[in-house]
Amino acid sequence: MGCAASLPDRNSGALNGLNSSENAVPADAKNLRVKLVLLGDSGVGKSCIVLRFVRGQFDATSKVTVGASFLSQTIALQDSTTVKFEIWDTAGQERYSALAPLYYRGAGVAVIVYDITSPESFKKAQYWVKELQKHGSPDIVMALVGNKADLHEKREVPTEDGMELAEKNGMFFIETSAKTADNINQLFEEIGKRLPRPSPSSS
Amino acid sequence: MTTSDSSSSPSSSGTESADLNPSSDPGTNSERVQSQLESMNLSQPSEVSDGSHTDYGGGDDDAEEEEEVASANGNEGGVSNGISVREDGLAGASGEEEVEPSSSRAEHPVEMEAGEEPPSPTSSGYDGERGSSGGATSTYKADDASEDEIREANVDGDTASQHEAAWLPGKRHVDEDDASISWRKRKKHFFILSNSGKPIYSRYGDEHKLAGFSATLQAIISFVENGGDRVNLVKAGKHQVVFLVKGPIYLVCISCTDETYEYLRGQLDLLYGQMILILTKSIDRCFEKNAKFDMTPLLGGTEAVFSSLVHSFSWNPATFLHAYTCLPLPFALRQSTGSILQDVCASGVLFALLMCRHKVVSLSGAQKASLHPDDLLLLSNFVMSSESFRTSESFSPICLPRYNPQAFLHAYVHFFDDDTYVMLLTTRSDAFYHLKDCRIRIEAVLLKSNILSTVQRSIAEGGMRVEDLPIDRRLRQKPSSTSNQGQDTSGPERLRDVSVGTGGPFGLWHFMYRSIYLDQYISSEFSPPVTTHRQQKSLYRAYQKLYASMHEKGLGPHKTQYRRDENYSLLCWVTPDFELYAAFDPLADKAMAIKMCNQVCQRVKELENEVFLQGASPFSW
Ligand SMILES: Nc1nc2c(ncn2[C@@H]2O[C@H](COP(=O)(O)OP(=O)(O)OP(=O)(O)O)[C@@H](O)[C@H]2O)c(=O)[nH]1
Ligand SMILES: [Mg+2]
Repeated sequence: MGCAASLPDRNSGALNGLNSSENAVPADAKNLRVKLVLLGDSGVGKSCIVLRFVRGQFDATSKVTVGASFLSQTIALQDSTTVKFEIWDTAGQERYSALAPLYYRGAGVAVIVYDITSPESFKKAQYWVKELQKHGSPDIVMALVGNKADLHEKREVPTEDGMELAEKNGMFFIETSAKTADNINQLFEEIGKRLPRPSPSSS
Repeated sequence: MTTSDSSSSPSSSGTESADLNPSSDPGTNSERVQSQLESMNLSQPSEVSDGSHTDYGGGDDDAEEEEEVASANGNEGGVSNGISVREDGLAGASGEEEVEPSSSRAEHPVEMEAGEEPPSPTSSGYDGERGSSGGATSTYKADDASEDEIREANVDGDTASQHEAAWLPGKRHVDEDDASISWRKRKKHFFILSNSGKPIYSRYGDEHKLAGFSATLQAIISFVENGGDRVNLVKAGKHQVVFLVKGPIYLVCISCTDETYEYLRGQLDLLYGQMILILTKSIDRCFEKNAKFDMTPLLGGTEAVFSSLVHSFSWNPATFLHAYTCLPLPFALRQSTGSILQDVCASGVLFALLMCRHKVVSLSGAQKASLHPDDLLLLSNFVMSSESFRTSESFSPICLPRYNPQAFLHAYVHFFDDDTYVMLLTTRSDAFYHLKDCRIRIEAVLLKSNILSTVQRSIAEGGMRVEDLPIDRRLRQKPSSTSNQGQDTSGPERLRDVSVGTGGPFGLWHFMYRSIYLDQYISSEFSPPVTTHRQQKSLYRAYQKLYASMHEKGLGPHKTQYRRDENYSLLCWVTPDFELYAAFDPLADKAMAIKMCNQVCQRVKELENEVFLQGASPFSW
């Protein structure tokens, strides 16, 4: 995996994670807020998923993410709770991979994305699953996303492979298309449902 | 102002090369190796100048390169001295190419070191122009150039701003390699490779397919280095091959654009800086651990950053003036922006910058921190060429090569609109939410004073215009400029026709004023007759030559230079406080031109609070 020397040193202790001061304020049971991080190989469609979810747009021209982008979006669930997602859309380019802890540390949700037409991106997804099992917070909600489902005639990663990986690691699994908007809202709604609710005793 | 012609200024580059003797002049680190790479598989001049460049797509930057190198090249075919690379090796993909010293090279081993310059139109034609204030004596290929200009004007008639806007970043011609004729015909190549010959970056073509070519370049560099020398420049017919060695990383430019060696080397330096900005200098360690390390994956997705930098070499004077430029703004507005940026810096931010495209609206730095103009150029190029910054607020590691090439800083970037953006730089990787708060405070100030719309208006209106310069009444009395000197008919007709009633007073077409202690410059907008991108590029190249000759060592603090050819009269005035470069109608009256330059300086002084960032600059600490 490249050369660690060219990247910020993950053992420097500088990566304390990015946590807004507001995060310290406990959310009430009806209004949740959560830090969500997207991880996955470059080009799998992380930014497209986020932009589809946040702005309802899809732009086919590639805009390789630099470092990480920050966006937020609030949704209402069926039980009338709202969830505010503070989303870190990380860069999949190799030179940024050592930076990932900065974004997943303290995250309540990790969404690991691969491209169903690229077995290599699926391999990368497996790497991220392992990495998060090791270094993510223990109660993190994890989702595995097979994106570009609209390209089914070019599919190279069978749905079953995704399901199996997710099951083994206690993850939620879904196939999406940022292009057609298929399953994008469902992805975030499902995540919202799975979030741990603050217990009544603590508030 | 005292003016003298440049005939007294130091020798031409030809003489200079002959003087350079590494053993007797230890102070000179730039030894120029003069030789010919006859078989480097680059196009022969005849192929290049046949006007067929439109074949490669009209939108391509390269297709617009001027055919400005004189075609009379008496030296194309022959290898008089120098390195010869075996041709069949080049096309191979083995990466094992041999470099063979040619027989003539072997017979004259000293010549490489002594740097005897073969007669080349690039240098001699240019040197002939020097100090020739008396009229059109140059060998500049004005006729062909103007034909091209007409053709181009008919095709798209672009202007600089249109060109800047229409130009699309990103690498083109990825399908090419060194076996493609189109690849060989490109007028300017840039390569970055490792000292083991692994390709890192190529302006054209897929790096991986250029492994053989890279190995050849590496072999040339090592061949000379093993002899305890350094190769900086190789001339091969109309091609210049410029080398820059930065530890384990080699940078090479192969060009037949007739730009100065100094500027091409400066371009390689910026290219290297851009790479350091993305990765820091710690990449050197990867090569220490593994000489065969493949760096290309680490630069994934950055093609647009490099191609946009290369593009800026032809339109952005900051790349050769090493100064930055401000967006013209009312003093009070820049002040209020500056003070909020200063507040932000006081809260633990290293640098805070508000930019509009590549122009500074205001900037501030933490105490004792100073931002080099080259870092500013590379930073704004990086942000402007990375589309993703425009979609949402971002947080990214970046390195400022002049500030500290070893370490990453963390940059918060946010676009307020299509052109205007804020960059907040810090050493702390966990500062995002603080920087986001800072941005919200800055935004509040901008909205309250309506600064964003003023900025938009200013960028739309452009900067100073030569047409708007006030004309001194006393000067107006005197007969001047174009029409009265019509006896000289050797210049290109078209330029003269267009120039009637255009440009500024007394034939002033364009100027650039650089304030030394502010590290800033202001240049006038392009106006007729210098309108097409090609004309502008050619003017910049003329300025670059002037700049290079004015910055040769050993000249006194006050210098002026006046030179004239078919295309322009150029006047340059350098003092310890400022430098002025001005372009006039080639038929402009010299005495009037000098007076006009004084007026320009006076006008810039009057406007300095609007066109320059005063005081708040970290440079003044
Ligand atoms: N057909 C199809 N194409 C998609 C879909 N999602 C993304 N793409 C394409 O994939 C390309 C890359 O998408 P991005 O969202 O930029 O990828 P990314 O994962 O953010 O990449 P990095 O920012 O480099 O990590 C884009 O050019 C999109 O056009 C999808 O659902 N279907
Ligand atoms: Mg992205």
